[in-house]
Amino acid sequence: MATGKRTERDVLQELSSEELQLLKRVLEIERAKLHVKAADLTDDLLSAVKAILP
Amino acid sequence: MRLRSITLTNFRQFSGTQVLELDSGSVKPVSLIFGANGAGKTTLLNAFTWALYGTMSDDVEEQDRMVTDCVWRELPAGASAELAVELRFDHEGHDYRLRRGTQVRKQSDEQQRPSAEVRLWQTMADGSSEEIGAPQERIYSILPRGVSRFFFFNGERIEKLVKKGAYSEVQQDIKALLDLEQVERALEHLPKVDRRLTADLKKHGGERASEIQTAIDDLRDSQAESHEDLKVLEGEQAMLVEERDSVVELLRQHAGVAPIQKERDRVAAELEDARTQRDAAIRERASLVASRGFLAFTDELAAKTAGMAAALYQKGALPAPLKREFVDQLLEDHSCICGTPLAEGTEPWQKVNDWRQRAGLQMVETAWQQLSGQITQLSSARQELHASLQAVIKRVTAERERVTRLEEAMSELDGQLNDPRREDVQQLESKRRDLEARIGDKRERIGALRAELERIQREIDQKTAERSKAEVKDELANKARARSDLVQSVRRALDEILAIRKEEMRDRLDAKLKDVFGKITIKRHVPRLSKDFELALYEDVNGVELAVPKSTGENQILSLSFVAAVSELAREIRAEHRAEGEPPDDAGTYPIVMDAAFGSLDQNYQREVSRVLAQMAPQLVVLVSKSQGLGQVVSELMPFVSHLGVIVTHTTGLSGASEDIELEGMAYPYICSPAETDHAELKVIK
Repeated sequence: MATGKRTERDVLQELSSEELQLLKRVLEIERAKLHVKAADLTDDLLSAVKAILP
Repeated sequence: MRLRSITLTNFRQFSGTQVLELDSGSVKPVSLIFGANGAGKTTLLNAFTWALYGTMSDDVEEQDRMVTDCVWRELPAGASAELAVELRFDHEGHDYRLRRGTQVRKQSDEQQRPSAEVRLWQTMADGSSEEIGAPQERIYSILPRGVSRFFFFNGERIEKLVKKGAYSEVQQDIKALLDLEQVERALEHLPKVDRRLTADLKKHGGERASEIQTAIDDLRDSQAESHEDLKVLEGEQAMLVEERDSVVELLRQHAGVAPIQKERDRVAAELEDARTQRDAAIRERASLVASRGFLAFTDELAAKTAGMAAALYQKGALPAPLKREFVDQLLEDHSCICGTPLAEGTEPWQKVNDWRQRAGLQMVETAWQQLSGQITQLSSARQELHASLQAVIKRVTAERERVTRLEEAMSELDGQLNDPRREDVQQLESKRRDLEARIGDKRERIGALRAELERIQREIDQKTAERSKAEVKDELANKARARSDLVQSVRRALDEILAIRKEEMRDRLDAKLKDVFGKITIKRHVPRLSKDFELALYEDVNGVELAVPKSTGENQILSLSFVAAVSELAREIRAEHRAEGEPPDDAGTYPIVMDAAFGSLDQNYQREVSRVLAQMAPQLVVLVSKSQGLGQVVSELMPFVSHLGVIVTHTTGLSGASEDIELEGMAYPYICSPAETDHAELKVIK
């Protein structure tokens, strides 16, 4: 993917508040389980989506 | 993560309970601990990793003997000894107390590897302490096991970090440290979430929406399959590239030995010539001896013969020349040259006949005369022989010496060339070409797959747009569609963030590494981090950039520079505004605990490494022996030292082995001998 001069901040600024919220939550969940290589986080992530869009 | 203290209880050499305070600020971040060989520096380093992960490094021997030997020996059978390591540290605004330990029951003199329990407490804002339910998981989330090797390490083994082939592992660990791994994993997991969400859309969304979703699902399946294929191909390509690089390296070595080979060819040709010359000289000498060697023995004989001839002339035994045939003719004609008839038996006949006897000696006379002439020649021939022999012997000796010298040179060159790793150049070259062709093939297939993935993504985007417009009456299906759209948006954003972070992290780490390495090295070598995080050293030779084969020392410097750069970058990036949100103050902060800190580095490098690490690491625990730590290292580190200590060796060995260490003008015990028991004592100096 061509990134050009775009920064992470640019990408974040283009997200809606719900998208930003989900993105942060997804990274938080993934970060907490980084050490568990085989972790299946589908349920945790699904819950996060449902919490943002109930 | 900032270390505050470590407490050892009967842990290996450290008998009883011993505490080492490590709390340090940013001005004086260094704890400097001295210890003799075998004192327990490696044990102390391993106490940290044992507390955190329950493991010790492979170089620790007798890992079953966890309880101090002298404590174990004194322990009655059936009784128990406490074994524990307690670590206090701060991490991202929380105080933690970690304790790994157990009561080890003595069943025999032999220790069995104990199974220790780990517990973790977190101090709350009100000062109360709360035990963490899943302590090991929390520890892993604070400092992943793989990442810990950048922060708790043995200086003598640190060079492994940058050895060829280690980079894929390093890349993986770096990803976690530089916030790449969670993004990658999110990108792996989100499609599964989306599939679960869209199941409702397919079920309740009506015919059109369901049809579109089925098409999207199929495309996603193809996408996942292509991604897998891409990963496999990229892995295969990486392996081929690594193999090609090692072949190129061998070829480079060949190029390196080309001058040796050329010299060997020259020596071989000269040796051949020397051997021919030597053999010719030997043959010439033999021929001289065979054909003219007798002349050497003619000196006395010639003199004797000449003497004999002279004596015979003198006695008249050798008369004037008169040919016997002439006398015979006179006798046969019965008439002398004076006209006197020569009747047989007469006096004149008798006289002439006497001449015949005398004439019989004519040949002898002639022979004598000839011999006399040859005797003169013999002498000069003998002198010639002597000169010729001298010359040929000189040549034989010289050629023999030349052969010996060249044989030695040849043997030396053969030794240099006789490296079993060096395969035949042609074979290597054809291998390289084959590998290049296979890499090219993989590259083409990777390119095709990437194009295919882009096509799939375009179709997915198109179908997703169609899905947004499709009429969906069911509320549950509508909700599922909205949630799926949300997940897709986040996924696209994460995809872009990953690309941005990867490029940025590599560039920043590369720049930082160059900066750190440049501060330490005295050579004009420049490190470079490839896009796959492979580390290499280059030098500028007349405008041409050449790869530098790294020595052990350079690998150590490069590894230490890498650790320092990673440590600093981890802190920097966490302090920036990122997708994960506002970070805590000490985010990305990790201590560096180094045993045998300076490996086999020279004094000037020890000084530079000390200076750079003290300035860059947020907290540094250095474990050194007197030979490594005194002098340049102490003077460089001392301004940054907040804790100074000695691991005192108590040994039951011979008396007289006691030794002190002088620090800041004071002498402190370093080795105490003889002691009642063998053990280590953590002595705090400041």
